[in-house]
Amino acid sequence: MKKIILFIVFATIVNLTAIAQDYHQSLEGIEWVKIESKSSIIVKAYDKNELLIKAGNRGEINEKAKGLRLVGEDGTDNTNIGFYVIKEGNNLIVRNLKKNEHAIIYLPASQNISVKTTWHGDINIFNFTSEIEATAELNGSVAIKDVTGPITANSLNGEVQVSFSKVSQKSPITIYSTNGELEISLPKNTPADLSLYSTNGDIYTNFDISTPSKKGMRSVSSKKIKGTINKGGVNIKLNTTNGNIYLRKR
Amino acid sequence: MNTLTDEDLMQKVSYGDLDMLKVLFERHHKHIFNFLYKMSGDKMLSEDLTQDVFYKVMQYRASYNNGKFVSWLFTIARNSLKTHYTRTKEQHDDIKLEGHQLIEKQSNEQEEYSHLQIALNKLKTSDRELLILNRFQEIKYAELAEIKGSTPGAIKTKVNRALQKLRTIYFENI
Amino acid sequence: MMKKNHITELIPEYLDGLLSQSQKEEVRLHLKECESCLKELEEYKTIFNAFEEEKEVIPSEHIKTNFFEQIEIEKQKESKVVPLINRTSNQKKIWLLPIMKIAASILLLIGGYALGNYQQEQKGNHKIAQLQEKTQKIKQTAMLSLIGNKSASKRIQGVNYIDEFSNPDEAIVAALVDRMLYDENTNVRLTAVEALSNFITSEEVKNAFIKALKIEKAPAIQIIIIQVLVKIQEKKAIIPMKKLLEQNETQPFIKEQIKSSIINIV
Repeated sequence: MKKIILFIVFATIVNLTAIAQDYHQSLEGIEWVKIESKSSIIVKAYDKNELLIKAGNRGEINEKAKGLRLVGEDGTDNTNIGFYVIKEGNNLIVRNLKKNEHAIIYLPASQNISVKTTWHGDINIFNFTSEIEATAELNGSVAIKDVTGPITANSLNGEVQVSFSKVSQKSPITIYSTNGELEISLPKNTPADLSLYSTNGDIYTNFDISTPSKKGMRSVSSKKIKGTINKGGVNIKLNTTNGNIYLRKR
Repeated sequence: MNTLTDEDLMQKVSYGDLDMLKVLFERHHKHIFNFLYKMSGDKMLSEDLTQDVFYKVMQYRASYNNGKFVSWLFTIARNSLKTHYTRTKEQHDDIKLEGHQLIEKQSNEQEEYSHLQIALNKLKTSDRELLILNRFQEIKYAELAEIKGSTPGAIKTKVNRALQKLRTIYFENI
Repeated sequence: MMKKNHITELIPEYLDGLLSQSQKEEVRLHLKECESCLKELEEYKTIFNAFEEEKEVIPSEHIKTNFFEQIEIEKQKESKVVPLINRTSNQKKIWLLPIMKIAASILLLIGGYALGNYQQEQKGNHKIAQLQEKTQKIKQTAMLSLIGNKSASKRIQGVNYIDEFSNPDEAIVAALVDRMLYDENTNVRLTAVEALSNFITSEEVKNAFIKALKIEKAPAIQIIIIQVLVKIQEKKAIIPMKKLLEQNETQPFIKEQIKSSIINIV
């Protein structure tokens, strides 16, 4: 019914037993790819205009499961590699149904993506120039590297690292963590309006932030900093409840 | 609680036990939504109308006449969709164009619709509706007759004819 | 002889298993001899399979939240109405009921239409009010449309627009409340909470905060809501705060915050 192209059994020789399986899917008409997983997930940009999933099946093919389909709480394996993939309007929903296996997902660099992990899943995202949303709902951490934003990211207990290669001025960047640390790095010439706030943590930066000052007096609160860098630009808001915030020049 | 029939629940609702509406909503909102979505091809609209349908059930609970709840619900859903199209008529020139618009939309957004949905969209609205209700929602001839204000026998004939048309369309462009 | 009598009409019901024993037999016999009917049968099978396999689309969760909220509102209305009805005698009630039913079913028929007109009118009035401040309106439109965007970052941008309004009207406040309570993205809800905390003196916003305290699961947001409500010493916050204290999943630092601040309200 759905035009799903399957290229199954793509044997990669990593070690004698390792078998990686690939799944391809067209991105025609897709505005957002929404990825959900209970386990760690890696999302990388590549130069093709389609979705590619490489499931990190560590070799052991479950003999007992032969001829059966994997059924998860939120869908049935319709890809043969433990993922449930379905289009909903302009969204492509991609769910990792396996609870303890990692996977790498490849997408074009300009694809908007939203990634959510719910259990111990760490989120790793690399090299995108699109809009990225990342949520680590429980214990997972978030690492987003070499991207431009806009970024909307949050975590509960894990740390959040984001390094920008350039900062898109399109729409706001907001990064929050409740119990984790934030480690953010921006190119040193980035124009931005910054708002840094931590309820119980400390804030460290090597940027010179111009704060609205009264008679030359600097804002002294270390918990809440509002100001601009490089004469101001897009809104960047970093917030934690209990973790520290580190904002670095890159 | 869950063993109560729809009719039992709705009766309670009509006497003012509004919490029972939550149970009815849980049971049926996906069906209503999917009916509207299959008819309109518009997710946002179908979500709005689904809410609207249940809102009307609440508003007009006193008018529930102990008939088959599902029939009543789908009657309201059909009316809501009709009202919507009448209301947006000015923007759409002609209501009858609706079917065509769906097909056009489909060619822009490939893979949005299955082959079946495309074939369904080529049917007359009334035929499409019958088949969606009968085959997707598994509504029996007797209830369909209530919804459409007809007799089970006549509905059966209509469903059969619609199926034949669908079959022809389905296999002519496969 | 059978051949002339094609069984086209019976095939769907045959497949659905709705035919009587004798009809079934008739179909079976005919199919043995008639290729065209057999082909038809196969085609119907394909189509019925396609119906079976057609995916069910899941509507967004927010329609449930919205409707359940409407039920709550209706309940409140109901509780105001009940005493009135109780005053009328039982007999009168029975006499009234059928008429009410008829009236209501007429309403059901014309209601949709009338309701539509009414809403249209409401909107119209609204617009006139808005026109008074043209630039404000443009800003408002931009804001509301951003708030409805698919992208979380755009919605946040929309919420941040609040700074442009010295005196935001109902539509804006309602849109922000909606984001604060129901947005699927934590960052958007957090931004909306912060934006609305500046208008906490409004009764509507205050009630929305209390509601948010009941349903919000993200600790980063819970803590702000608590701080804001404690600051204005809102008594209605006590019950939901106590509930949070009882719940296992509430983060320890939230419990600490509640314990230390609840004394200030009481």
